[in-house]
Amino acid sequence: MIYSLVGYYSLIIGLIIGLSLFYFSYKNFKNSNILDTKILSFTFLQLFFVVISFLCLIFSFVISDFSNETVFNNSHTTKPLFYKISGTWGNHEGSLLLWLLVLTLFVFLFLVRTKNQPVKYKILTLVFQQIIIVGFFLFLIKTSNPFNYIFPIPTEGLGLNPILQDPALAIHPPVLYLGYVGSSIIFSSVLAATSLKIISTSWASHIKKWILISWIFLTLGILLGSIWAYYELGWGGFWFWDPVENVSLMPWLALTTLLHCILVLEKKSILTSWVIILSIATFTLSMCGTFLVRSGILNSVHTFANDPERGLFILVFLFILIFLSILIFFFFHKDNDRKSHSFFWLSKETSILINNWFMMYFLSVVLIGTVYPIFLDVISSQKISVGPPFYHKLIIPFLIPFLLMMAIGPKFKWIKSQLEDKIYLISFLIISLLLAFLILKNFNQNILINTILISSALYLFFITLRDFFVKKYKNISQNIAHFGFSLLILSILFNNIFASEIITNLKVGETFENSKTKIVFESVDQKKEKNYNAIIANFSISNLNGEEDRFSPELRIYNQPVIATSEADIKTTLMSDKFIVINLVQNQDFFNVRYQVKPFMLWIWLSVILISFGGIVSFLQKRS
Amino acid sequence: MRFLYIIFLLFFLLNLTSVKGEEQDRINNITKNLRCLICQGQSVYDSDSEFANSIKILVENKIEEGLSERQIYNYFKKKYGDWILYDPGINKNTYILWLLPLLIFLIGGAIIYKKLIKKI
Repeated sequence: MIYSLVGYYSLIIGLIIGLSLFYFSYKNFKNSNILDTKILSFTFLQLFFVVISFLCLIFSFVISDFSNETVFNNSHTTKPLFYKISGTWGNHEGSLLLWLLVLTLFVFLFLVRTKNQPVKYKILTLVFQQIIIVGFFLFLIKTSNPFNYIFPIPTEGLGLNPILQDPALAIHPPVLYLGYVGSSIIFSSVLAATSLKIISTSWASHIKKWILISWIFLTLGILLGSIWAYYELGWGGFWFWDPVENVSLMPWLALTTLLHCILVLEKKSILTSWVIILSIATFTLSMCGTFLVRSGILNSVHTFANDPERGLFILVFLFILIFLSILIFFFFHKDNDRKSHSFFWLSKETSILINNWFMMYFLSVVLIGTVYPIFLDVISSQKISVGPPFYHKLIIPFLIPFLLMMAIGPKFKWIKSQLEDKIYLISFLIISLLLAFLILKNFNQNILINTILISSALYLFFITLRDFFVKKYKNISQNIAHFGFSLLILSILFNNIFASEIITNLKVGETFENSKTKIVFESVDQKKEKNYNAIIANFSISNLNGEEDRFSPELRIYNQPVIATSEADIKTTLMSDKFIVINLVQNQDFFNVRYQVKPFMLWIWLSVILISFGGIVSFLQKRS
Repeated sequence: MRFLYIIFLLFFLLNLTSVKGEEQDRINNITKNLRCLICQGQSVYDSDSEFANSIKILVENKIEEGLSERQIYNYFKKKYGDWILYDPGINKNTYILWLLPLLIFLIGGAIIYKKLIKKI
């Protein structure tokens, strides 16, 4: 009760502070030798009140205060404390409050951490960020107030969707949001810098750190979502080209492109227009993602509530922001690339341009594949599905030159370059081709496209691996990330090609046996937990070498809301995952058993961690 | 030109990656490309709903009848509409879907090419 009240009024105060900051910024902007301390303290106050509001919501969840509508809709007294807390952002209202928290956090950090940049620039960045923040305050208070009352007060809540009751998913939203919303500060900063015409090499190296922060969190956030999908959704895949996944991939692609492009700007002060466009695009894509997911246009586990009013609000807000940025871009930005620079075809600039070219292509595939069905449905009311086959056909062939360029590109020098170490480059290519051919031949899988794809991934792998030991190439962060990417592609490919699977129906006590594997369904146990009842099936599975593993996958029936889920049992080893999941077949006394051996599963996660580790190294590096 | 040729070849090869061998593999392969119509973003293969299970049996029957993969897809398309197929295929509804990304790629290439050529 009291928490809802405090939380709600904290939001109002935060909004008022946001509005008053416009006034202070205006005053400070006119005579701007130093940053007004009022601005800093007010920004801090705003953050403070949003934190208070957020904590209030958490407390309401912890004490199960069902007079709060959000708590009532998404919590239950029998839920473990951990999921009561994570339930705070496992719903529309709470996740938007988290979004707001990250927005205010970033602008505060930005003001504190930014040194050696003009005061006017800092103020203007704050103003643009406050436009977004105030927009979200209004959105939250008007359409999605997390502190709505219910009267009479219900005695019990409706509970949280069981598939969201999971440790990986509990931290997935905050991490993803740090990346998603972190791109807002890049957006605000680029608009400010454009208006003041201070886009330069020093601005580039200043904003690069912020791009890196967003990028690292976005990468890890997507990873967590993927891991969760792998073990919770219960069929052993980790990426489904689901619209909601695509929506998180798009800002990532844009951000990765920006990350490469900013290097050119930092070194040579060219491509400014492109950097501006990319920065705007990244945040716009994040907002578009929010719009698509929150408006209920896309159907998925992420769609908490379908409310057209919310969708409309975000859409209008989005258009205002895009309009504003286009206005600033065309009024203030003068392209001065022309006089200053030329590209030599063999240079680092060119190779980064090629990276941008491919990344934009991948982005356009994902974007068009995601929104095209929606448009087609609206225009001609024909429903089509755009699924994995579409993305695979359009992306995989282009991955081959992309991987090769990733290996060779970083070797070029700025401005004008010669390709050195030609012998190494060519001999590695031949080795990779032979190796890929041998691997696939051994497993009777010599499909040409796989051979070429694996060769190019192996090529990147060897080249980057060698570069760790060659002192000449000092760009260690880039090398780690590219090495990680080669590992990622290799693991995904091997994981796909060499996976094996058994699907069968078994009763208790029965045995399944084929030439390689023996599955014994030994027994069934029952388990009673606070928030669910479970049937535990015990299996013993042995392979040709006589190695035996015991598995106990579960079927859970959650009590609030009543939903049945399958919990897979996974044995992870360095080289492969063994994955088993069971399902009850209706009106039958047998279970549907699915057993998969998935090689290199762990390496998919590790390589993504390695990629983001490359980002972290780059972030920690001192400016050269 | 050669580049385009290679890309075309690759597309062609990708379409050929159908799996021979065991029947179960074929069923999996087909059901992975069918949407479970009553689920949220799951394929028939991934789902264990009644609908998905009945589709799986249907696919099995069709294979036993000797239908090719393409014929089976066409059968489902006729019965449930395009929505059930994860592969949108190339037809008058999807020309833009398939060609727009490729067009963007070509335009991007042209821009970069122009930027480089101008200076030489």
